[in-house]
Amino acid sequence: MNVLGIINFEDNTASIDGLGDYRPVPAISFLGRYRIVDFILSNMTNSGINNIQVYCKEKPRNLFEHLGDGKKYNVNSKRGKLRILYGEKSFASPVYNTDIANFVLNMQYIESDPNPYVIIAPSYFVYSFDFTDAFKQHLDSKADITVLYKTTDDAKTSFLGCDTLTMNKNRRVTKIEKNRGNKKNCSISMEAYIMDKKLFIDLVNRAAEISSLFWFKDIIADILKEYKVYGYGVRGYVACVNSLSEYFRINMDLRDRDELNSLFLRDWPIYTQTNDSCPTRFTETAHATGSIIANGCLIEGEVEGSIIGRNVTIREGAIVKDSIIMTDAYIGKGAVLDHVIVDKYAIVHHVKKLEGTDDNPVYVKRRDRI
Amino acid sequence: MRSNNIVAMILAGGRGTRLFELTKKVAKPAVHFGGKYRIIDFPLSNCANSDITTVGVLTQYESILLNAYVAKDPNWGLDVKDGGVFVLTPREKDQENFEVYQGTADAITQNIDYLDSLDPEYVLILSGDHIYKMNYATMLAYHKIKNADATIAVLEVPLREASRFGIMNTNKQDRIIEFEEKPAKPKSNLASMGIYIFSYKTLRKYLVADAKDSNSHHDFGKDIIPQYLKDKKQIYAYRFKGYWKDVGTVDSLWEANMDLLDDNSELDLADPNWKIYTEDINALPQYIGPEAHVENCYITQGSIILGTAKNSVLGTNCSIGKGAKVIDSVIMPGAKIKDNATVIRCIVADGVTVEEGVKCGSKDSEHITLVAKRAVKE
Repeated sequence: MNVLGIINFEDNTASIDGLGDYRPVPAISFLGRYRIVDFILSNMTNSGINNIQVYCKEKPRNLFEHLGDGKKYNVNSKRGKLRILYGEKSFASPVYNTDIANFVLNMQYIESDPNPYVIIAPSYFVYSFDFTDAFKQHLDSKADITVLYKTTDDAKTSFLGCDTLTMNKNRRVTKIEKNRGNKKNCSISMEAYIMDKKLFIDLVNRAAEISSLFWFKDIIADILKEYKVYGYGVRGYVACVNSLSEYFRINMDLRDRDELNSLFLRDWPIYTQTNDSCPTRFTETAHATGSIIANGCLIEGEVEGSIIGRNVTIREGAIVKDSIIMTDAYIGKGAVLDHVIVDKYAIVHHVKKLEGTDDNPVYVKRRDRI
Repeated sequence: MRSNNIVAMILAGGRGTRLFELTKKVAKPAVHFGGKYRIIDFPLSNCANSDITTVGVLTQYESILLNAYVAKDPNWGLDVKDGGVFVLTPREKDQENFEVYQGTADAITQNIDYLDSLDPEYVLILSGDHIYKMNYATMLAYHKIKNADATIAVLEVPLREASRFGIMNTNKQDRIIEFEEKPAKPKSNLASMGIYIFSYKTLRKYLVADAKDSNSHHDFGKDIIPQYLKDKKQIYAYRFKGYWKDVGTVDSLWEANMDLLDDNSELDLADPNWKIYTEDINALPQYIGPEAHVENCYITQGSIILGTAKNSVLGTNCSIGKGAKVIDSVIMPGAKIKDNATVIRCIVADGVTVEEGVKCGSKDSEHITLVAKRAVKE
């Protein structure tokens, strides 16, 4: 595929309280062993995109460490390249740190790429998708821009703050608005666009001239009359991780095997960085049901309906229920956790009961000790 | 990282006949262990962790999988400049008859040209079929301090079991004065682990001489070491303490897997400072179903457990169906235990399916049952 892949970052309407304080959204851990960015990145490499740029809004450290040279994602080490790009100059205010500003600052890398087309997609939409067919349709349709969308009947509770598309019979996009949860049935823009690289560069420059606060999705909404923007409906699993409660819900929903199998498809591997952890050890006192568990853990206590990350220790007598425990966390003897998100390296000692709700899970900070 | 003056040679050509169908299409070093590993991951990881980055792997029996597997040296961090994993199979040479490797020593002799090209000071000879964690750098330091011609790693075994091993009889300084292969009346309890460090120059001379001897078995234990002793060469015993197991039979392979469930066992694969590396297989985290029962198990990623798993080691991407019971067993990667099947005291080989409701193995069996082909209702 003669396409440059651009993995964009989410705008400021997406905010993962707590977890987002320590790392950019793409680097947030997902389902025990993945990071959010793994999905879009695997989608691109599986679709045959060799040159990929990952844009990072802030705190690139975590992302550098996780993505490395992209080898784990099957990026060809000679005929392909993975670049992690970010604004090297500091912004007067975080509001100026837009995707447009970052594209402008790294324009030389976009211009010098030999591919005539681009696919721009953010990482905070989680799905498995082969771009091949959408790209072919884009070329056949003579559209200027093709935008992926997902039809949902659940827009009152999920995809809040995302853009919705209004389309005519031919799927030409006529209007883009914010989903404020007023309507149940919506076509949600997945903010993934296919277009000529030349057009992309034009639009970036134009957006930069209009307003320093403009995002790429704003300029798309601005040019619907001038350019032919067509929608491409995506079937199958699509989720948008744009808040802590959504993050929690999405992870919890994936405990259902049918849901899990609709995200992880046969012959569509989702790659991630390996850690060489040994298998997980369950002792005689362990009790585990309805859970997704990564490698390297020691489980002595009770785990029910939870997502357990790598190298987690759950001591005898501890009860972890409907919770997300991240890498290297330690749950001590007798601790009881219900609807809790425990961030990396946190230590929850004995005789503590933590209890959250579906909409309001308790969040235990990174490296915190309780 | 620059490579140093020692080369490791891993003898990985053996079939391991007592593993039966497990080694029908792969050599013993490629047999799965501990859910996510293969046996050869242990010597390869030990080399990497000991900063020995030039490793020759000598393969012969059913080597397609093994050759491809070890050649991916980034999996063990052995993809360094001036180093790497070299797959050494028997090859046709100019002006020589083509021969497969005749014995452990002959396998090295046939690759003298390879060793000469590296010009190492020391050669570390390893076997590709043992489970253990060992720092070879410490052994090399010992070899240098003793100014030895050869150093053999030894393990103290219970005296009553000593007649199963090659036994080293030493003097007070741990210099080996006598070597006895499986002695009926062992004089010491120091068993050879099949791990040797040789100073290469001397070894080279002995190998060349051995190759000319038509009465020789061309074997380190039977020929080279006895000749060294006869010539009063300095051979020292290097005492190793820790876990070491030869997994040559179905029973011993099963036992070594079960050691991973024993809190008192010295085999700890969770030590972050001495990781055992292996192939990175794409798999989801393990899935434990809502009605599953998991007790005293060692489970790796990709496993789907809907039934019961007790006292067992479960491999990558294996599955246990609803109502199925897996007890005291080793399930190798990709094996499927279908709904309501029962597996007790078994090794289920990789990729094998135990069909619905089928019962394999028995809790009273003397030996472990090997399930190496699809188990169906009779």
